[in-house]
Amino acid sequence: MKKLLIVIVLISIFLLVSVASFSESAKVTLNFIEVLTSPERTELLKKIISDFEVLNPDIQINLISPPYEQADQKVTLMLNTNQPLDIVEVRDYTIKQFVNNEKLLNLETYLESWTDSKTLLPITWQAARTVDNIAYIVPQEFYIKALFYRTDILGINFVPPETISELFEVCKEITDPSKNQYGFSFRGKAWEFKFSDLISTSFLDDIDANNIYMKTDGKVYFNDPRAVEGLKLYIRFFKETTPTDAINWGFNEQVNAFVSGVAPLLIQDPDTIALVDKMLGRDKYMVAPIPVGPSGKAYLDYGFAGLGIPSYSKYKEEAWKFIEYISSPEVNAYFCKNYGPLPVHSVTYETDPYFSTGVYLAWAYMMGHPEKYVFSKYPIDSSKWPGWSQIHEADMQSLLLGKVTIEKAVDKWTEYWK
Amino acid sequence: MKNKNSNIFLIMLIPTFISIILLTYIPVLRGLIIAFQNYNLFDLSNIRLIGFKNFQVILNDVNFSFLRILLNTFLWVTVSLFFQFVLGFGLALLMQKPFKGRGVYSGLVFYPWALSGFAIGLIWAWMFNGQFGIINDLLQKIGLIHQNIGFLSDPKYALISVIIANIWYGIPFFAIMLLAALQSVPLELYEAAEIDGAGHFKKLFQITIPYIKPTIISTTLLRAIWIMNFPEIIYGMTSGGPANSTNILATQMINKIYNFYDYGQASAIGLMIMGIMIIYAVIYLKVTYLEEFEL
Amino acid sequence: MNIIKKFIRFIALMICLIFALIPLYWIIITSLKGPKDIYTFPIKYLPEIISFESYRQLFAFTNFAIYFRNSLGIALIASFGALFITLFSGYALSRYGFRFKKYILLSLFFTQMIPMFLIMVPLYKTFSQVGMIDKLITLIILYTNMMIPFSAIMAKAFFDRIPVSLEEAAQIDGCSRQQALFKIVVPLTLPGLSAIFSFSFINAWNELFLAVMFLNSDVNLTIPVALNSFISKAGIGWDIMSAGLVIALVPTMVVFAFTQRYIVSGLTRGAIKG
Repeated sequence: MKKLLIVIVLISIFLLVSVASFSESAKVTLNFIEVLTSPERTELLKKIISDFEVLNPDIQINLISPPYEQADQKVTLMLNTNQPLDIVEVRDYTIKQFVNNEKLLNLETYLESWTDSKTLLPITWQAARTVDNIAYIVPQEFYIKALFYRTDILGINFVPPETISELFEVCKEITDPSKNQYGFSFRGKAWEFKFSDLISTSFLDDIDANNIYMKTDGKVYFNDPRAVEGLKLYIRFFKETTPTDAINWGFNEQVNAFVSGVAPLLIQDPDTIALVDKMLGRDKYMVAPIPVGPSGKAYLDYGFAGLGIPSYSKYKEEAWKFIEYISSPEVNAYFCKNYGPLPVHSVTYETDPYFSTGVYLAWAYMMGHPEKYVFSKYPIDSSKWPGWSQIHEADMQSLLLGKVTIEKAVDKWTEYWK
Repeated sequence: MKNKNSNIFLIMLIPTFISIILLTYIPVLRGLIIAFQNYNLFDLSNIRLIGFKNFQVILNDVNFSFLRILLNTFLWVTVSLFFQFVLGFGLALLMQKPFKGRGVYSGLVFYPWALSGFAIGLIWAWMFNGQFGIINDLLQKIGLIHQNIGFLSDPKYALISVIIANIWYGIPFFAIMLLAALQSVPLELYEAAEIDGAGHFKKLFQITIPYIKPTIISTTLLRAIWIMNFPEIIYGMTSGGPANSTNILATQMINKIYNFYDYGQASAIGLMIMGIMIIYAVIYLKVTYLEEFEL
Repeated sequence: MNIIKKFIRFIALMICLIFALIPLYWIIITSLKGPKDIYTFPIKYLPEIISFESYRQLFAFTNFAIYFRNSLGIALIASFGALFITLFSGYALSRYGFRFKKYILLSLFFTQMIPMFLIMVPLYKTFSQVGMIDKLITLIILYTNMMIPFSAIMAKAFFDRIPVSLEEAAQIDGCSRQQALFKIVVPLTLPGLSAIFSFSFINAWNELFLAVMFLNSDVNLTIPVALNSFISKAGIGWDIMSAGLVIALVPTMVVFAFTQRYIVSGLTRGAIKG
């Protein structure tokens, strides 16, 4: 009996001590949670944070980096239970939800008094004001698709295709299954709708810039005969220029196929550059603008991620200080250079040689030719958006496997978004 | 049998029960309530009871056919369980008699159990990979197939692939539990049987199996329940795809949480899982006449 | 005849071993290839050059040593905690008959049917209200609780196999009940208790979803969370992932190897035969 009591007392003391251990300090500690976690990017953020801490010795930042696959869900849960957070990384997919639940601070006044906000790209403002036309975040990076191609496999004289049909012909020409050589690095899984939409929408010219799923006449685009033509071509890409296994290819497999040479043409976002540089080397590939469709246009979705401040944060001023720092043209350029995606200030493209030459020219071209490249949004603030990716993926996989007809599929998607 | 000293043992039961009541049963009750609410993180402003709506949505889901999910769950549990048991039992029998290096051998052959389900899913996904996987490579080298098979991209093969990974993982559990039980079979019984001229199979079916029958029943029951609640391997290998072909109830629950942010529907699925398991356990125990749960 | 039997047995054992080891071999090999060699076609079964680059990156890029320490601490404390509690509970359940015993056992058994995701959010809310999010002690408590039902049932079963007569004999010799427990019964059930400990340790070591949910700061993370964070938007970085998996395997294999000695050598034989 005595032994037991001693044990219980010891355990209780231990518990109390652990729970009650707090240390007051004069420093302000901010909690910063990121969601696009990757080992390299976290390293980069830590470096930026420590530079900031040197310049601001009374602020300390605690970086929280949950695994990418669970990160959004974790941030949602933390915000909804008012866990101590001061800086949150918000994605295009999650911004509406956070605003819905009133967890983000309105940043308009902060942006107004910030000098560097003058050099933000128009697209940056657009992204910041996604919800209700009020700026709830400061975007940090953009993800816009472009065409990557292997210069060593396709030859130095290879001219990148200007239209989707040309792209298809090129891919088909090099495809030779017996040699395990294919053309197009297909995306079968995880947000694959971005690729099918890219190709299908290029067959139209009246897509609404505010909602890529709508035409300017207010109708959903999927069952438009032109879109169906585009979708048929997309299916031909799968059947005639890629391995059958591609139906299960996520980002990793797509990039591997490109790097290993199995499929030397790849449509991907700019953050792929850092990865491909590491795995392949900058000398073996080049990037071209997205080929346009029969309409002479291509509709580009601009993915983004940015930083916001929780509405209940206790250290809003300090949090804003950090956001100002990391969003400045210099730091933003540094971040994007090492991680890959597109920076958010116009000055960066004008003055920084890294972003105005070489592979980045493709994006500069697309941003400079609005008559060909229309930047269009997905309906990310619709309540039908969460889960759409799963639904489309299951349907598309059935479609590619011939289990369902095109008509059924497009009618279903049209119904969904009506 | 009770005396003052014995009170300590009864008191030790108390922490056990405080723990599971506070940290398991009460949360379960709260979780069950969520199953009947429109608890969706996308918009938490108006949470209220909505009756059986969550269940209706799940049963009638056109994108993730409930019947297919049930079928997958059934196959996942029964096929995995059967092979895990048979192969695990076989391994235990092979190891029953001591041999040189048995200690080291058991450390090596049982290690799959030491891995996390998620890691196993990743490793096997890599091995089953359609382009760079060693399974495709080896099968072609032996000449069984001539072209790469998309094991995890073809709905025909995906389910059996995840099941194979699960079998690999679960064999050690049965092997260890049954081996420990086998150790308790008195040697005299075997000696007596040998004097009577009994061969291997007779010894197996007339002595060994009956003697450890309680262990067999308890472990298979427990394992079936664990397998049903074990989405990690599938989550790591296919996340339920392609086209819903490896989705089981437990992975659909994860899907609802991480992709749809709908805790109400996820909890409803949780309720269904529990309901199925209770029915299964009751039937199983009645059929096997198990008086007391014994390992 | 005997030699043939032995030979067949040997072959069968070898096949089992190879089947078990192939994935392990593959992961170790992958971790010893340099980052550029991992995605090659045709597949390389033996690395051309052995490279520790992946391991170097693992420890340079991440605080893997800290995660290792955290995981080890949590797993050990939770396993010993569960073992301690269930040692007594299991014994009580075995030796004492009380009216509700059947229902108590059922209530323990029933906990195994509860899907984790069902209770994760209510648990999170409760712990966040008392400010215990992002603390290692929270995981210790949760893991201990997770292990208790199965361990108690197992402990009871192992105690059931020991005849009461052994304890009674000891008590006649002048031992108290507790002394009888520790001096006679526990040594006989060492294989079972080792099994309980190793199962608990492995479950605690490998648990992922609760750890992701309840831990925030980098210094508090456990290995499964760290490994999971090697999966980014870009997919799986197989170089550090394989290195991390190999290192994560070491403690569980050690615990396993250590407890095998007791489980497999059949310490119970002696008592029953005599």
